[in-house]
Amino acid sequence: MSAIKNSYTNLSSAVGLGLVGLDEKDIAVDYGCMLFDSFVYVSRLCKRIVGINPSYEKLKTLQNQIVKEDVKNYDLMNANYNEQHFNEVFDCVIINSFLEQLHIEIKHNKSIFFDSMIWPKKKDDSSGEIRIDFFETVYNGLRPGGKLYLSYANKLRISILFQLSMLEPMSFLFSYNLRKGMGFVTFVKKIYLLSYYLLSQKGLEKLLKVNGFTDIEKYAVFPDHKYPLKIIPLSKLDECSFEPVQYISREGSLRRISAGVKRRVDRLIFKNFKLFGLSPSFIITAKKAS
Amino acid sequence: MLCELITNNTHNNNIALYKCYNVNKVFYRKAAFSHWGNKVIENENKGYEWFYHDSETLIEMRLRKKYFYELDIPQFKGRKFSSESIITGNEETIEKIIDFYKSRWSTSDIFAIHGDLALCNFVIDDKNIKLVDWEHFHYSDKEYYGYDIINMLFILIYHESKRTFSLKKRNKDFIKKCYIQLVEGADSSNKILEKPFQNAKEYLLKFKDRFLINSNIYDKFVLSGSPLSVLEHFDSIVTR
Repeated sequence: MSAIKNSYTNLSSAVGLGLVGLDEKDIAVDYGCMLFDSFVYVSRLCKRIVGINPSYEKLKTLQNQIVKEDVKNYDLMNANYNEQHFNEVFDCVIINSFLEQLHIEIKHNKSIFFDSMIWPKKKDDSSGEIRIDFFETVYNGLRPGGKLYLSYANKLRISILFQLSMLEPMSFLFSYNLRKGMGFVTFVKKIYLLSYYLLSQKGLEKLLKVNGFTDIEKYAVFPDHKYPLKIIPLSKLDECSFEPVQYISREGSLRRISAGVKRRVDRLIFKNFKLFGLSPSFIITAKKAS
Repeated sequence: MLCELITNNTHNNNIALYKCYNVNKVFYRKAAFSHWGNKVIENENKGYEWFYHDSETLIEMRLRKKYFYELDIPQFKGRKFSSESIITGNEETIEKIIDFYKSRWSTSDIFAIHGDLALCNFVIDDKNIKLVDWEHFHYSDKEYYGYDIINMLFILIYHESKRTFSLKKRNKDFIKKCYIQLVEGADSSNKILEKPFQNAKEYLLKFKDRFLINSNIYDKFVLSGSPLSVLEHFDSIVTR
């Protein structure tokens, strides 16, 4: 009975992964395992999936859910992201809710993504090009031609920028006596680099390029990367027609009115003015150069 | 290959519709996200096979049965219509579609119902009429000939009334003209055309399982939720 129930589980929220072109021979890795449906969807279409998360509790919850779905072709790993853990190379890397993960790390003052990981490529490099250990780990773990899928909510960019601005001066003051070489200019530059490379569209694209990725495609996602109803490739804006998504509004007339207003505003912003930089979420896909 | 997500899980069908931009061609892809979705995609493929069985279009269709099914559908060139199309301004096209229905549906050995025939599911050019979105396709008895056209007319009436708050006399005359066009040559055993709108609703509710709907039928089809008095009114307009 449970098998019948499970086989009818709807994984429509994983629709973004349809952009990647998963293959049944693929072995994938999911950094963070942030979206359960995505994890299950990849397990159904690929040979195997490896989930990695620094939180043991999170992995335990995930495992309980996975058992209910009768998923067997998976491994879970309790580890930080910025180290190379695997002997094998992957065909696909999935990082859902990228900025949300970054947000959590900053909140808990952990150092998975960025602490001591951003620095100029060369010592005397003044161009501001950076590398991040995490992306290097991702790159090294991918086979040539392997696929990267990254999704994030746009609104988090602002709060992360704010948190970074708060965190960096604190870490500077805290470590001032220990690090003689570190000056005010360094940490201002660090904030600038972090905000540019991790929070701006252009910067993130440049960061991926610097870290060895090619064929980078950016997509605007509506209304949310956790359950996309509309995804538009930004390089095909001329050929795509934007119609606002239908916001679900069954409870009360006020909510219905607000959903109607939201649709009209969306039409104005995205259809008329084509301001896709304001999209609620984004997906980025890329490939490791062959 | 680049893809655009057009719709996802509409009426809980567990299916996504992508528009795919390949190097030298554009096509559409329907992808399932559950076993229910697989069932719907397989059914849709049957619909295309029934409709395009003697056409080259079928060669371009591709059903891939992976864990979740995918169906690639070619992009048809021609005029497309909005899902909220109305009668006014589309009279010529509607008459053309009814003629097409009469010739295409009456020549088929096995009678079938599209299930969601609406102007927005047609792509029309000077030479060809293409029909898409066969999710609700099913085989049926010839006695239900005309169901699809009555359903399409009702959707048009619905949107026309929504936009103009009432149906103009010329719209009513036009619906009657369409009905007469459809009835010509129909079998005497027909179970739809005596009271077309009421009977079409009855068919929809009686055989709703054939339509493969995974949500409330009243949300999906405007005909199913329309009160008897309204259907009686439109029946009297066309049959009097």
